[in-house]
Amino acid sequence: MRLALAIASFVVLLVHGAVFYKQFFHKWENYQTAYFDQARSLSKTPAEKAALDARAPRVEQFIVTSFGETRVDRCGTCHIAMDDPRFNKHAQPLQTHPYSAALGDTQVNGKWERRHKFPDFGCTVCHDGQGRGLLTVYSHGEDEYWPDPLAGYVVQAEWRKDLQPKLKGKEFMESNCAQCHTEEGFAGTTHVDRGRKLFFSNNCYGCHRIEGLSDGTLAPDLTEVGKKFKIDYLMESIVDPRANLATSFMPKFNLSEADVKDLVIFLKSRRGVNFAETSLQRYRATLNAKRPADEAAKEPVLQGAALIARGEKLVTDRACTACHKLGSRDGGVAPDLSFEGLIKEEAWVYDHFKNPRSRVSDSIMPSFRFADADFKAMTAYLASLKTAPAAADGAETYKALCQRCHGEKGDGHGAIAWYLDPYPRDLTKAGFINSKSMERLSNSIKNGVAGTSMPSWGRTLNETQVAAVLQHVLDTYTKEKRRELKPLKAPDKNPVAMSAESVSRGEATFLNRCAGCHGRKADGKGPNSTDILPRPRNLRNTAFVDSVADRRLFESILYGVQGSAMPSWIDYGLSQNDVGDLVNFVRSMNQKSPVRSLNARGN
Amino acid sequence: MSGATKSPSLWGNIRELPANVWHSVFRNPLPSDDYERSSTSFTNFFLHIHPVKVNRNTLRPIYTLGLGLMSFFLFFILVVTGVLLMFYYVPSTTQAYDRMLDLRGTVAFGTFLRNMHRWSAHGMVGVVFLHMCRVFLTGSYKKPREFNWVLGVGLFLLTLFLSFTGYLLPWDQLAFWAITVGTAIAGYAPVVGQQVRFLLLGDANVGQEALLRFYVLHVAVLPLAMTLLIVLHFWRIRKDGGLSRPPEADETETAGTPVAVSVRAVQMAKDKIYGLQGFVRGPFTKVGNTPDKTVYAWPNLIIAELFVFVLTLAIILIVSLAFNAPLEQPVSVLHPPNPAKAPWYFLGLQEMVSYSAFWGGVGIPTVFVLLLLIAPYVDRGQKGVGKWFSRERLLANTIFLSFVITNIIFVIIGTFFRGANWEFVSPWK
Repeated sequence: MRLALAIASFVVLLVHGAVFYKQFFHKWENYQTAYFDQARSLSKTPAEKAALDARAPRVEQFIVTSFGETRVDRCGTCHIAMDDPRFNKHAQPLQTHPYSAALGDTQVNGKWERRHKFPDFGCTVCHDGQGRGLLTVYSHGEDEYWPDPLAGYVVQAEWRKDLQPKLKGKEFMESNCAQCHTEEGFAGTTHVDRGRKLFFSNNCYGCHRIEGLSDGTLAPDLTEVGKKFKIDYLMESIVDPRANLATSFMPKFNLSEADVKDLVIFLKSRRGVNFAETSLQRYRATLNAKRPADEAAKEPVLQGAALIARGEKLVTDRACTACHKLGSRDGGVAPDLSFEGLIKEEAWVYDHFKNPRSRVSDSIMPSFRFADADFKAMTAYLASLKTAPAAADGAETYKALCQRCHGEKGDGHGAIAWYLDPYPRDLTKAGFINSKSMERLSNSIKNGVAGTSMPSWGRTLNETQVAAVLQHVLDTYTKEKRRELKPLKAPDKNPVAMSAESVSRGEATFLNRCAGCHGRKADGKGPNSTDILPRPRNLRNTAFVDSVADRRLFESILYGVQGSAMPSWIDYGLSQNDVGDLVNFVRSMNQKSPVRSLNARGN
Repeated sequence: MSGATKSPSLWGNIRELPANVWHSVFRNPLPSDDYERSSTSFTNFFLHIHPVKVNRNTLRPIYTLGLGLMSFFLFFILVVTGVLLMFYYVPSTTQAYDRMLDLRGTVAFGTFLRNMHRWSAHGMVGVVFLHMCRVFLTGSYKKPREFNWVLGVGLFLLTLFLSFTGYLLPWDQLAFWAITVGTAIAGYAPVVGQQVRFLLLGDANVGQEALLRFYVLHVAVLPLAMTLLIVLHFWRIRKDGGLSRPPEADETETAGTPVAVSVRAVQMAKDKIYGLQGFVRGPFTKVGNTPDKTVYAWPNLIIAELFVFVLTLAIILIVSLAFNAPLEQPVSVLHPPNPAKAPWYFLGLQEMVSYSAFWGGVGIPTVFVLLLLIAPYVDRGQKGVGKWFSRERLLANTIFLSFVITNIIFVIIGTFFRGANWEFVSPWK
């Protein structure tokens, strides 16, 4: 026992030694001593020497209260020569902070004078990093928990390896310059300016809101994005939107590396409150923002070709092709607009502009807040696109019109498929294709599928072309030989009368049997939905539900949908009356929908 | 000492000053015989909590594992480091985190103090829990120690609560979200849950009010309650006849000699004026030099206790030197980490909450605590006391161990096997 006690006591003693050693031998003391020694040898007057002799190592700090929250910057503890011009050739940490006319420094009688004086500004206002730390790993923000490592100089070990080299460069500091120099076109913040322009030219503003700049509502608010996220997260979100959120529908934009960098710098500069703004100015800005812009009223009302020409200009200027395809330009995200005049009615296009989700329930297209006259002009231009593609055989037609969504292999994984909801049909699933009549298949091509992105090709293609492309699909993708379809026993009209009782019975059955896939809200997003392809139907998609006859609903519920996860419920004990209640429930959900009134006005 | 016969001279007094000061503080010289050993224990304030003689069984390291003492010493370390940290800490949402950075950056021994406090706190939760397991598995909660067991359960809960309230104080992401999750679990209690949560937080969310409340609880209310309960706990150990031991441990080596005199007040004559020790029941201080299985507390017990203290200190020091207490990002209310996890000792609860909010967060823990509290009053058999895993206590031990092991498994799952959205992940990936 006594020996053990002695050993344990010795360990306690040893640890104390180690702790005291760590406490009293700092690296920064060595730097300061080295600085004093070298400065002494450089000093010219005895007074200077004596002053240096009197100095002993100590923590040097700037306390900055003028810029946002109080900052305590102890960087000068190691970088003690930062303001001593004699050390401009030394290695870090004993190097003079460079003087530069671009920073506003001026030369008076051959001596540089700083514009941004360190005691006034401190260090972290421009450089980021953690001012209070005295160990490199902490003060430079190298540990993963520090939100702002030295901008453009330090990357954290946890950041994505492929992004790390792209996150270096002193231009990243511009996001800090822009906290005070908010004016556009300021010479020191060219990257921020360029990023801001890209934010508009790539239509980021359509989805994202930045207070005072844009009003998008579809995507996260970016007003304070620079305060919340590190630059690696910002860059990753742009180059690989789904890396952070698997369900993100943000498109992958085809941006150059320089563009991405400038966008990151611009976004990093968005921190909600700038040093340059007072709370009063901000309040005034919100007041002004609410005032309706009635410039449109002053403009002359255009008609005919002039309207179309203006529409074309608007469509081009507003970078619709950042997402859509139009002629030779293709954003790779949204449907082809080249034949819009043949595919859609003018009213549909106009309504869709005003509120895309009134026509395609799950569309990701933002509701841009353009002036009504602009929408009218753009609608007129799109409605004028009535040139059908040159006649071609089935394979070529498929390639030109279908492949972008349904994919090269016909499996529904087309280039833009990921952004469409519902997902394009997998044409290789013979179970599904061969269980539908030829008439229904060609109708889907001719008339489209309401409430989805499948357009009606009836006016673009003639009967023979439709038949040819359908045959091409059957031969090339479905492959399996069609069998004769037996007519299913299902009523043409729902035999159960619509009534409150029937709807509530239907709702009970729905929650019991259907909600697992179709979701409690019947929006097709039940807990099992993510594992299923094709995804469960969104039963609140009014345009779609209204376009489907009772008979098809009965068939789908009673006998299931082949080639999908929808089982045949007649095998699970649902009677025809149960299905009648379900159909009433589904119809009742869509009766109150505001989309209804639009549809009633004529498609 | 200068002897009673001579009258003291000033010179003599000055010459004897050091010795006199020494003897005025310490009544006894370092003991060299049994009388002085008894006297040392008896007359020293800090030592008189010990009996003069202790049973040999008490000193078997394998029996107690020193866990109770270790808990106490950890509490002692926590009080000392905690008071030192209080000099630097401000319970304000705008300053707390900066103070943490200063502790890490510039305060002398700041990092080390914080490490010691942090790791001792974690250690104390674990050691107190193990101590409870020891007491249960050796059947030591049985008559006459029932109430001391109840006090012990109270101490265990206080330890958890102290650690939990301290968790918030650094005001980083780890703290903020752990407390958000932890208090949300409290909110699952029926009827009063939301009120309790509001009382704890002083607000609907974790914020300045919660920080201030947790601070006051952590530095004043709970430590005081803890100290009081510890004092009671120690006092009851003495009054309940020392540490539990098997009946054999009290048998004398020479049979037939009475060693334990059981005196009951009512047996005495009505008109007798008797000393207070007449109220003492059970085996108590030995009279005379009867041979038995006891040894003198000084030095046997004292050295053992000192060893436990130095060992505890050494472990905490080494751990604090090797590992830095975590300090994550400053609080960002709109940016929760995924997953947001409670402190590790509540992760068992959080794991159970992921199956059922009420049962996991409130029902099962309440049942467990109630079971612990009534255990000594339900399990009245006197067999198997003082032995680890005795056969007579198979049922009680099995029930207890299954609760303990289940909780440990849940804690391990919650700590290592849960990733984003509380989905199962492999830590070896």
